[in-house]
Amino acid sequence: MASLFQLENLTHYYGRHCALDNVNLDIAPGTIGLVGQNGAGKSTLMQILLGLNQPTQGVARLFGKDVRQAGVELRGRVGFMPERSALIPGLHGVEYVALAGELSGMPRREAMRRAHESLSYLGLEEARYRKLEQYSVGMQQRVKLAATLVHDPDLLLLDEPTAGLDPDGRNKMLSLIHGLASRPDKSLVLSSHLLGDIERVCHTTIILDAGRVIGVGQMDDLRSARPSCYTVRWKGEADGFLNGLRTVGVELESVNEASAQATLPEGKTTQVFFALAHRHRLSLTALEPEEESLEAVYHRLINRQEDVQSTRSDQAMPVEQEAAS
Amino acid sequence: MSINSVGYRGWSERLVSPWISSWSIARTGLLLVLRRKLFWILLGFALLNFLFMFALIYLKAQLSAQNPAIEQFVDRILTSVTGTGDSYRNFMFLQGTVTMLMLAFAGEVLVGSDFQRGGLTFYLSRRISRRHYALGKLLGIGLLVSLTTTIPAVILFIEYGAMTDSFTYLSENWRILVGILGYGTIMAVVLSLVLFAMAAWLQKTVPLVMAWAALFVLLPVLGGILRRVQDDRHWLLIMLWRNLRLLGSWCFGSVDSGGETELIGWAGCIVVLVCAASVAAIIPRLRAVRVVQ
Repeated sequence: MASLFQLENLTHYYGRHCALDNVNLDIAPGTIGLVGQNGAGKSTLMQILLGLNQPTQGVARLFGKDVRQAGVELRGRVGFMPERSALIPGLHGVEYVALAGELSGMPRREAMRRAHESLSYLGLEEARYRKLEQYSVGMQQRVKLAATLVHDPDLLLLDEPTAGLDPDGRNKMLSLIHGLASRPDKSLVLSSHLLGDIERVCHTTIILDAGRVIGVGQMDDLRSARPSCYTVRWKGEADGFLNGLRTVGVELESVNEASAQATLPEGKTTQVFFALAHRHRLSLTALEPEEESLEAVYHRLINRQEDVQSTRSDQAMPVEQEAAS
Repeated sequence: MSINSVGYRGWSERLVSPWISSWSIARTGLLLVLRRKLFWILLGFALLNFLFMFALIYLKAQLSAQNPAIEQFVDRILTSVTGTGDSYRNFMFLQGTVTMLMLAFAGEVLVGSDFQRGGLTFYLSRRISRRHYALGKLLGIGLLVSLTTTIPAVILFIEYGAMTDSFTYLSENWRILVGILGYGTIMAVVLSLVLFAMAAWLQKTVPLVMAWAALFVLLPVLGGILRRVQDDRHWLLIMLWRNLRLLGSWCFGSVDSGGETELIGWAGCIVVLVCAASVAAIIPRLRAVRVVQ
């Protein structure tokens, strides 16, 4: 399958600050989640994919074309929904969406027709002749989504589409995005701080930290890389059993009278639960492997990255001290 | 509601050139300006002078038709409607004064709010480049200038021809039409560049009006004082509006004799420098925009 986008040794600096550090990715079409803290490089990556920011080093290709050379052309195939307002006060909803269509290369009449359609799809047909500044936050997000969709792009780039929405609005927006993601031959890149949103919509996830890719893959693959984690349930007095688990290195969380979440250390198998239960005459009622959430994957990878960096700096320290002396 | 449940329809037809999008940007800018009541009031003021001139030409034509002997007398009384290049130049100069007032208030709507409220993100993430965006905005401002200066002047020119000697006047005075279009183009280009540059940096109406007033009111006052104190006509060159009028006179082929001929070259250089400075101010503002925050 042809790549959606390819990044080769992509590095980008803002002055001295490294926003992207030697990123190499080859992502197939589909629904892709972009996860990372503020300053992780998500926005810079989106800018580069839109062809609006030239990378300091390396190559970025979208739909097989170099974004440096084909920025304008590629933006015709991309629909970008920015996080910030990006509205034009004074315009009516339908005018705004039609203008988005015209700026994407549609003839005026066609753009206006599609604007009406898109607003109807997104449940804004009653509000299409209202001025944008009179829209609620949820309506503003939907009108931005309509402007993103109007020219039927091959790739949707959505930057924090649920920002500022109440739980109900968020739920509706995610349903819409989920529907969009299921269109045939279309792709979607969703950047969000809300890992639950990514988990609900995306099949592939890219996790960025300080300009580096620290995790990439199908959601299931990322989850399976985690050490074994189980929910253990029992009947009876379990103090000895739990102390025994801790002694052998099992990490326990959410411990209560009848259950706990247990993470096995490397080299240990589930036999340890049964052996200790037998020794402490405890009756185990359930041992369920726990599916790791994206949030847990994210924190695990971030922590691992921090460990690697601290190890590197520890190793570098004596060398720097030697050099200084 | 899932998007599939309402029958999402794909679209894949031939896309138009990004240069055509510049017209969409210009049209939207004009629409936003004309949606505000303040601009209708200013436009009304601008059109008052036009309607007055329009009526005078009609009156003159009627009087001359009824009694050709009084034509010269009417010309002496109604000096502003003689049908010469000077009368159109003076008319455009007067119109320009109201236009400047209108532009000072329109700067935020046309350009400033794009930088302030994220409109630029909307524009630049589409199938256009920064050049197309800038052209669209300049075109929008230029159209606003033309709407109150060039277009009324052309209408008056045609009216004068139609009311007096008909096609003879139009064919014999083609130079006047060139002058109207030339002066109008100079005003539109210079004012749109200066306004774009100022609005891109200042963004809000109050600082924009203050800066605009400094350029078109304070500097001319200062220029007048310095000219008297130093007794040097070159100080008049710091009046941008006067420089534009000089170039307008050159377009009409009616540069006053004396010092004005000497100053016209300098006026041209200063206007070009102002345009270059405006372009230099616009480029970093457009480049600095982070489309994704």
